[in-house]
Amino acid sequence: MSDHVKEITAQDYEREVLASKEPVVLDFYSTECPPCEALAPKFDAVADAFAGRARFLKIFRQASRELATRLGVTGSPTLVFFKGGREVGERMTGEEIKKSALKAQVESILE
Amino acid sequence: MAEKYDLIIVGAGPAGLAAAIYAARARMKTLVVDESIPGGQVKTTHKVSNYPGFPEDVSGKDLAAAFAAQAQRFGAKIAKAVEITGHDLGGPEKRLVLDEEDEVTAPAVIIATGAKPRELGVPGESRFRGRGISYCATCDGAYFDGKDIHVIGGGNSAVEESLFLTQFARSVTIVHQFDEFQAEPASVQEARANPKIKVLLSHEPRGFHGEKSLERLEVEDLKTKERKVLPTDGVFIFVGMTPRTDLLKDVVPLAKGGYVETSEAMETAVPGLYVAGDVRVKRFRQITTAVADGTIAALAAQKYVKEHRR
Repeated sequence: MSDHVKEITAQDYEREVLASKEPVVLDFYSTECPPCEALAPKFDAVADAFAGRARFLKIFRQASRELATRLGVTGSPTLVFFKGGREVGERMTGEEIKKSALKAQVESILE
Repeated sequence: MAEKYDLIIVGAGPAGLAAAIYAARARMKTLVVDESIPGGQVKTTHKVSNYPGFPEDVSGKDLAAAFAAQAQRFGAKIAKAVEITGHDLGGPEKRLVLDEEDEVTAPAVIIATGAKPRELGVPGESRFRGRGISYCATCDGAYFDGKDIHVIGGGNSAVEESLFLTQFARSVTIVHQFDEFQAEPASVQEARANPKIKVLLSHEPRGFHGEKSLERLEVEDLKTKERKVLPTDGVFIFVGMTPRTDLLKDVVPLAKGGYVETSEAMETAVPGLYVAGDVRVKRFRQITTAVADGTIAALAAQKYVKEHRR
């Protein structure tokens, strides 16, 4: 895992996601999830590219069921984007998340 | 600086990896590229019962890992989670650009990019993707622990994945447009005997509704034309696959449905360009037939490269 990706738990959600100064990309992941495994290197690379400008966080879905349900997340991986304490942009899910698409999405949120 | 190979295989599913095993053993410098981790559709298939060599079943995940390990054992290189951001496949030296930075070339290329789940094309479908709608039971089944869910489809995937989902869901209702299932009778029998599985034949989905997440599935009874709105906690869609042939769009003509015609040796109209697996025009698509295609394509490519290097 990249130095620029941090793992959080549901308890950290308010502080790390909603109260974050920088925009946040939150990755709900599960174990036994090939698309999550495929996303990991791309997530790391994009986190490195945007270090200091956006925060990249991962949260283990199986340990955060209540939060996942509250946010309406029903698939892994699901990327949820936050800015100024609110969700922004379109979520990204599943196998087909491309590195270039993720980069473009983060760029548009930073504007 | 572009890295040169003897053979580049696009897609690390059964077709691509079978080709890689043969190519690597023929001492071809072989690169396999995949946008995900190796295995293709097999890696998210929870159980494989009809691949020869496994009298006790094998998990898709384990079978995929075994294919990849075997290819690597003989020296094939597998590049995982890469995106093809540029390509030039029409000439004698074929070129691919990976992730906007790495360039690779080879005289021979095998396209084995497989297929992806077909969408229904029903209102609300894209809105609730990941928010109640899924196309992969092994990926997302665990999200629906104790819930009441629906499955759309009537073929092997719909019936078999419904059985898989009963280990999580409280109930699984299969919604199918026809009067009877197209799945293998053995699977249908097992499904009908499962107390958690209900069946709604001759019904088609017409819409997905809800606030933040999916809450209701609207269906039409094809016999009475009556519309019904069913409360639901989630819907899994298994209505077929569609070939991934975007790379070949301007390179070779595409047949009906987006599939590619080839010779018996997996050749296309472009010398040195081969196609293997589910993307081909063929009647039956199975792991075994994909593996056969990959084998043939690799052997044909080997002959071609040898002749063109003289």
